Amino acid sequence: MVSCRSAGLLRPGGTTGIHHVMQSATASKESFFQRHYFLFRRLHSLTGILPIGVFLINHLLTNSSVAWGALALREKTVDAPWWVHGAEYFWREVRWLNTQIPNLLLIEIALWGSILFHSVFGVYYAMTGSVNTARYAYQGNWRYRLQRISGYIGILFIFYHVATLRWGWTFLVPGGTVWSQEFAASTLALTLRGGSSGVTAAGLAVSLAYFIGVTLLVFHFANGLWTAAITWGLTISEASQRRWGYACTGLGTVLMIMGWMSLFTFAAADPAKLREMEERMTQKQAMVSASPIAR
Amino acid sequence: MSTATAPVRRNAKVGRHVFFRILRCEGPGKPSQWQEFRIPIPENANVISCLQQIAANPVTTDGQTVTPVVWDAGCLEEVCGACTMVINGKVRQSCSCLIDEYAPNEGDVITLEPMSKFPVVRDLWVDRSRLFHNLARVKAWVPIDGTYDLGAGPKETPASQATHYVLSTCMSCGCCLEACPQFNLEPDSANWDTAFIGAHAISQARLFNDHPTGRELKDERLDALMGEGGINDCGNAQNCVKVCPKHIPLTESIAVIGRQTTMHAIAQFFRGR
Repeated sequence: MVSCRSAGLLRPGGTTGIHHVMQSATASKESFFQRHYFLFRRLHSLTGILPIGVFLINHLLTNSSVAWGALALREKTVDAPWWVHGAEYFWREVRWLNTQIPNLLLIEIALWGSILFHSVFGVYYAMTGSVNTARYAYQGNWRYRLQRISGYIGILFIFYHVATLRWGWTFLVPGGTVWSQEFAASTLALTLRGGSSGVTAAGLAVSLAYFIGVTLLVFHFANGLWTAAITWGLTISEASQRRWGYACTGLGTVLMIMGWMSLFTFAAADPAKLREMEERMTQKQAMVSASPIAR
Repeated sequence: MSTATAPVRRNAKVGRHVFFRILRCEGPGKPSQWQEFRIPIPENANVISCLQQIAANPVTTDGQTVTPVVWDAGCLEEVCGACTMVINGKVRQSCSCLIDEYAPNEGDVITLEPMSKFPVVRDLWVDRSRLFHNLARVKAWVPIDGTYDLGAGPKETPASQATHYVLSTCMSCGCCLEACPQFNLEPDSANWDTAFIGAHAISQARLFNDHPTGRELKDERLDALMGEGGINDCGNAQNCVKVCPKHIPLTESIAVIGRQTTMHAIAQFFRGR
């Protein structure tokens, strides 16, 4: 029925005719971007999962070790609260990441390049959409909208996060704390508290920004993982999309808990006590490195 | 369906009047304005029968005599798609929109707007040319034209028939496009080939790619769908499947085409074309 209907409407000379389509197919001079439209779109989808999504899982796993590290720390050499033990485990994780992973610089370049690519194209693609959640308030439509909002805010958050904790833009950090790798836990705690003299309003604002940023980015990843399965054609039927939705919700929930756990523990921890632990660990490390056996 | 709506209809008040708030527009490019009409509701009235009443007596609630409201209609049994409009903020066919369900009480209000994703011709009548143009973009037909009799086509199995039947019930009404946040008004037909194609065309491409004879054009359809405004412009809001009056699994079709384009791209990469 549809074939008859469409064929009937495609009358020659009409505005909707085959003529028009053929004309545009032969006459068009496509740009590089248009010729490889599919490739760019699929790269945008892929980079969200690999490497960005995989990195996000690792990043939150490492950071949340401050909250659960006390359970995993093999020997506790000092008597200290659980979050100091957690931070010690975190210190070891950070050190391991920075010294043991091969080609770390290449991995970082690939990661930053992917985030840049995913952001630029993501914003460009998001500009083609519109908002109609007021009229069509379906859950899926809200997730569509939130995916775009979380993308926009996520870019700003990642920029702030990297600029302050990596590039050392201390003018954006209340209290002017300089983050350093060897003292990652204590300097992060100072950043989230706004300085060494208790929690300040500016510190609270930074913590809130982190809470919103982490929450939105975890949602963005979990929901993106769900839509990517449709994009690539992995989940076809409504039932399979629902099942994959449960899996993505599960992963998102676990990541969300990990993100919140890290944030609350770092913000609530006493920076002085963390610094004490870090100095102890750095000294211990220096001794190990200086020993003839280590050489 | 009749069992589900029966209790609502039984509750409808007999002899009531209902207000129709209608977004009017005198022609393309002209400004829109709301007008209100008060209509006595006979038994089993639908939106079209009320529009007929307005046409017979086009007097607004403030006593102004105006031009009759223009609308498009065809079959009057929800199979042609011509009378699609936005009723109480949501898109649907007006012929199957029963007043007893939408406005069961005295003084209830029903709002009527033209679809927003197509250029308005006049009042509730829109030009859906782009919808049909997009079907042509994916060659949504079976290629049988030629200089000699091709004979009978290959047989379809009952199983594939069952899948195809529901896809073939698409009436090109435009509901999926009206509700889609990725499909937006594009009055300039020069941009139609690069603007989002819409769920209806993607679903028809799936139908004809799966058709024993229609699949001859599968590669061409997938090439078209891989370009700008094709399958990748879908944002997975999935409003389309929610508003489809024919309950066509549009999101399933989108995923099927997603898979077909993935495989097509891999094949193209290694084949070199």
